[in-house]
Amino acid sequence: MSLRICRMTATGFRKFREPVSIDGLTGGLNIIIEPNETGKSTLLEALRAAFFVRHGTKNQLTRSYAPHGDLVAPQILVDFEVDGASWSVTKRFLKSMSVEVSGPDGRAQGEDAEKRLHDLLGSVKDTSSKGDLSNQGALGLLWVGQAEALSVTAPGQIVRDTVRSILEAEVGAIMGGPGYRRVRDRIEEQYGVYWTQTGQRRGRLTEAQKAVEVAEGEAEEAGKRLAALEGNFRDLEDARTRLKLAEREIADEADIQARKALEAELEVARSAAQILTTRRAEKEAANGVAKALEDLQGRHRRALEARDAAGRALAKARERRAVVAADPGRAQEKVRQTREALERARVAQRDARVALDDGQKLQQLLRRRAAVAAARLRYAELGRLETQYRDAGAVSGSLIAPEHMASLEKHERKVAEARARMSVGTAVIVLSGDVSGVTVDGLPMAAGEHSVTQDVTIRVGGAEFLVRPPASVASAELELADAQRKRDLALETFGVASLAEARLRNEAAREAAAERRTLAARIDAVTPADDAIGLAAGSQALRLFVRELAEDDPQEEVAPPDIAALSRTLEEAENVFGPADGAYNSAMEAQRRLETDNIPLAAAEAGAESDLSHAEAQRAEIENLPEFADLDVSLTEARKRAAEAAVKLEEAMRNATAHDPVAIARRMTGIDDRMRLAGETCRKLETQIAHLRGTIESEGGKGLAERDAAAREAADAAREAFRRVTDEAETIRLLRNTLDEARAETSARFAGPVARRVKSYVDRLMPGCDLTFSEDLGLEGVIRGGLNEECTSLSKGTQEQLAVLTRIAFADILLEQGLPVSLILDDPLVYSDDVRLELLIDVICDAAKRMQVILLTCRDRAFRHVPGNRVCFEWSQKHEDKHTQY
Amino acid sequence: MKFIHSADWQLGKPFGRFDPDIRAALSEARFDAIDAMGRAAAEHGAAHVVVAGDVFDTEGPEDRTIVQALSRMERHACRWWLLPGNHDFARNGGLWDRVRARAGSRIVVLTEPEPVEMEEGVWLLPAPLTYRHHLDDPTHQFDSMETPGARLRIGLAHGSIRDFGSRGETNNQIAADRARRSGLDYLALGDWHGVLRVDDRTWYAGTPEADRFQRDDPGSVLLVDVAEGAGPLVTPIRTGRFQWLMRDWTVNDVAAFDADCAALLGDIDAPNTLLQLLLAGITDLTDRVAILGKAEHDLCHRLRFLDLRADDLVGRPDDDDLAALAAEGTPGIAAEKLSALIRAGGPDALIARRALERLLIEYSREEQI
Repeated sequence: MSLRICRMTATGFRKFREPVSIDGLTGGLNIIIEPNETGKSTLLEALRAAFFVRHGTKNQLTRSYAPHGDLVAPQILVDFEVDGASWSVTKRFLKSMSVEVSGPDGRAQGEDAEKRLHDLLGSVKDTSSKGDLSNQGALGLLWVGQAEALSVTAPGQIVRDTVRSILEAEVGAIMGGPGYRRVRDRIEEQYGVYWTQTGQRRGRLTEAQKAVEVAEGEAEEAGKRLAALEGNFRDLEDARTRLKLAEREIADEADIQARKALEAELEVARSAAQILTTRRAEKEAANGVAKALEDLQGRHRRALEARDAAGRALAKARERRAVVAADPGRAQEKVRQTREALERARVAQRDARVALDDGQKLQQLLRRRAAVAAARLRYAELGRLETQYRDAGAVSGSLIAPEHMASLEKHERKVAEARARMSVGTAVIVLSGDVSGVTVDGLPMAAGEHSVTQDVTIRVGGAEFLVRPPASVASAELELADAQRKRDLALETFGVASLAEARLRNEAAREAAAERRTLAARIDAVTPADDAIGLAAGSQALRLFVRELAEDDPQEEVAPPDIAALSRTLEEAENVFGPADGAYNSAMEAQRRLETDNIPLAAAEAGAESDLSHAEAQRAEIENLPEFADLDVSLTEARKRAAEAAVKLEEAMRNATAHDPVAIARRMTGIDDRMRLAGETCRKLETQIAHLRGTIESEGGKGLAERDAAAREAADAAREAFRRVTDEAETIRLLRNTLDEARAETSARFAGPVARRVKSYVDRLMPGCDLTFSEDLGLEGVIRGGLNEECTSLSKGTQEQLAVLTRIAFADILLEQGLPVSLILDDPLVYSDDVRLELLIDVICDAAKRMQVILLTCRDRAFRHVPGNRVCFEWSQKHEDKHTQY
Repeated sequence: MKFIHSADWQLGKPFGRFDPDIRAALSEARFDAIDAMGRAAAEHGAAHVVVAGDVFDTEGPEDRTIVQALSRMERHACRWWLLPGNHDFARNGGLWDRVRARAGSRIVVLTEPEPVEMEEGVWLLPAPLTYRHHLDDPTHQFDSMETPGARLRIGLAHGSIRDFGSRGETNNQIAADRARRSGLDYLALGDWHGVLRVDDRTWYAGTPEADRFQRDDPGSVLLVDVAEGAGPLVTPIRTGRFQWLMRDWTVNDVAAFDADCAALLGDIDAPNTLLQLLLAGITDLTDRVAILGKAEHDLCHRLRFLDLRADDLVGRPDDDDLAALAAEGTPGIAAEKLSALIRAGGPDALIARRALERLLIEYSREEQI
């Protein structure tokens, strides 16, 4: 079936503010060559709007129809033929929206008109906001906008389904049709109940799973609580059993009997212990008696032995002492004699020493007296010397220091110099003759020489002479006066009248200073140190010594002692004393030795005497004791008693060992402890039982077992439900996936015939290549020389060429089915080289023999030679004017 | 002397696998059985109801369960002798203390193995369970129980005479000749949920209200008429409301299923019937869908409850089914793929079968539309 667009007028549509028409379109190839910006693409948009865009729609797309900035209602009118029958459609958008379709069956408006168009052209209602080509059926694929063919795309659903339905007989398979689609929709819907599109669980499936989790959680909780309660029951039963045991233990007769028996046994044991103690005491007493008697016997024997020993020792000591004590008298006499001699020598020596001392002291006194007298004399001399020394000091102190002397001399020199200078300039008037009446400055002038140092008026008679010395005289005079004044001041300072006097004074002062040094040496000479009177050197010491002396007391004259004679006497006395002392010491030594030999002997004798008397006293004491009389008898008796006591003790010990009270007490404590523990256990258990009973009473009333059973069954039911839901979900999933697979398989079958048709065109472009198509009939790639190249990796030009060729192939297939088909290419083959462009143009011209082809291009030169119907835009007058102005 | 022998009331059983409304009805029916027993006792002049254990389903029922049970019993003039069984065994501080604290004078709880004189000269020898499982015979003490002046000795016990479970468990096992050995005129037993005569003096009463799919009989109690020197006269009386049926049908087409259905529904009181139906057979897919549809959309709603297990009802798609699908192209290929999975067997086969079935259902549904 052919579709021929005959004429179209668009008004207020995008670029076409004023009405624009194209007319005279034929059923074959129509070429519209217009420059850029003229509105070729707008023409295609207007056709799409007229046929496929709902008139009542106000969306982004329809709003874009209004010319920029205008509020007009875009309107399109299209006259066309389908299979020879005339149709026309008029659509207004945005304002006073309307559609009118007229055809062989009459006119239709509104929805009815839209439906007629859909039915006629195999399109469907488009609800997308920007216009979806896939909803435009075959023409969506075949009306190719600018740049829309630059990539190879798969045809839309409608075209695919149409192509498949066309090919169904050819491939021997059916794509499913509406029955399939509805089944599939139903299954898809059910799938959505259980699964997400990505195959994750959802909805009923997760709900069932959650229900299982919740139910299992509840069952677990109920189970736990029940288990806790059961635990309490077990504990209670356990506590009761233990309580019974404990009570039984408390009530145990065997223990009570055993304790009684132990008590009796303890009594016996205590008696045995008592007896043992008694026997032990008895035995000790008997042993004591025997021992005392044995002691007595022993003591007596020892006393006798001691007495004998002491007797022997005494005799021996006396014998030895007798030898030693023979000549003590001699030694004593010797000691006495030597002691007397020594005493005498000692007295003589002492007397000699005293006499010598007295002599020496007297000699000392005499020496002192002489020294004091000498000191007094020196003191007097000192006084004189010191007076002289002071006088000399006064003179020597008037010495003018050399620097001062130099200063005085300098002053003197300056005066002399000033005087000399003055004398140089001074006028000298020598007056002689009668000088009376001659006055100088009113005063009579004496004869003689007058030095004039200043203006002087000399009157002689009536005549006056003014003598004026040179000016320098005045200043020299002043200098002289000044020098003299300074000199006089200096002289006055040192108290001299002249320099000569000063020099004299200095001379005197120097002599005095020399005198003083002499005097100082003499003073030193008269003040020497004197040890005899403890006098230190120096005038100060001497002055002090003399002042402290009492007034001279009269002293008798004493003859000086003879020290040498006295010394001799002492020496002699000492010569006697030494030997006397040696003799005495020797005698004493001899006597001491004698005594040392005697002491031990005397001590031994005394000791032996003492021992003897002591032993004797002991023996007498013992023998005087009453029991001594029959000691032997009583000792035998005592020993017998001790032996008997030992035997009894042995027996008592045996008895006591048989009944160990400690062991018995321990056993009794053991029994008591057991009883006490049992009692405590009972109390504890009773408390525990009461507690458990309380818990059980409160928890047991909650019906935990019933709840647990119910929860477990609910969990089972939930699991069962989950299993059922899972089964259902798995079933649905399998069915859905199987349907998808089946569909993919079927789709693949349809690619073959499509490929064959496309190949007949592509072979001209790329000889010998194979084509691969996807399930959705999209061209995926070409195989050249065994290499598979994906479409997207081909050059833009090739892609466009392939896209145009596949479209022509699809158009052929659709045409075979008798669908209204027309091909519009807006600015195609822009990237094609000349050879391919020619080839494509050939194919297009060929296709134009079967269907209407409208080719919109701005490339006049490229398409100038192509045979076909040339059509131009027809502008309204207003637009024409505007257009020609360019 | 007449008395009612019952056992295994299992009060408070949760029935967790059922929907709440069915669960409520089943629970309620167990309490109603008490009233049925009370009425039966009055009707037949029995002054006592002895319950041989498992009065309660658990040892820790809800207070409501206990109070309901006691208040139902107290509405009737007879005396109730309740024995702890393995489900509601006696222990200190346990269930029976709670029961005793609430029970009136006509309800006797037998938690001690001591003979009780029910009426003059009639002694009841109870063998209460004090644990869930006793390894020895709980009735062995009957031998040594003194019953002075007894004209009748009636034993009451809970346990197995033989190994009912066939799993070698020997818990609470009672000597089969206990009645003879212990000189009992009647031994009332519980644990087995159906009526069972062990010997002329030893009976299981079964549960008064069935509680599981095990046997078709509805619950009942035994009316026992026992006289000195003569064997007891035992008469079962129905007390149960619900019937728990198990059916195992082999159906190869819809007609066979319909016939079985009709036969069943003719026999039973459908609203008070719970049915566990196991379907087996080989049908074509259409029939299988039809059979399952009928079961789910008709039979299920007639009955109180239907537990349908149709895994063994194998639906094979017939050539027509497959041809119809094949004509649709893609669905046909899908059906072929699923068939291949089914033929391959394995764990996926079952799911594949369901998927194929679903495909047919959905497809035929669309056809109908």
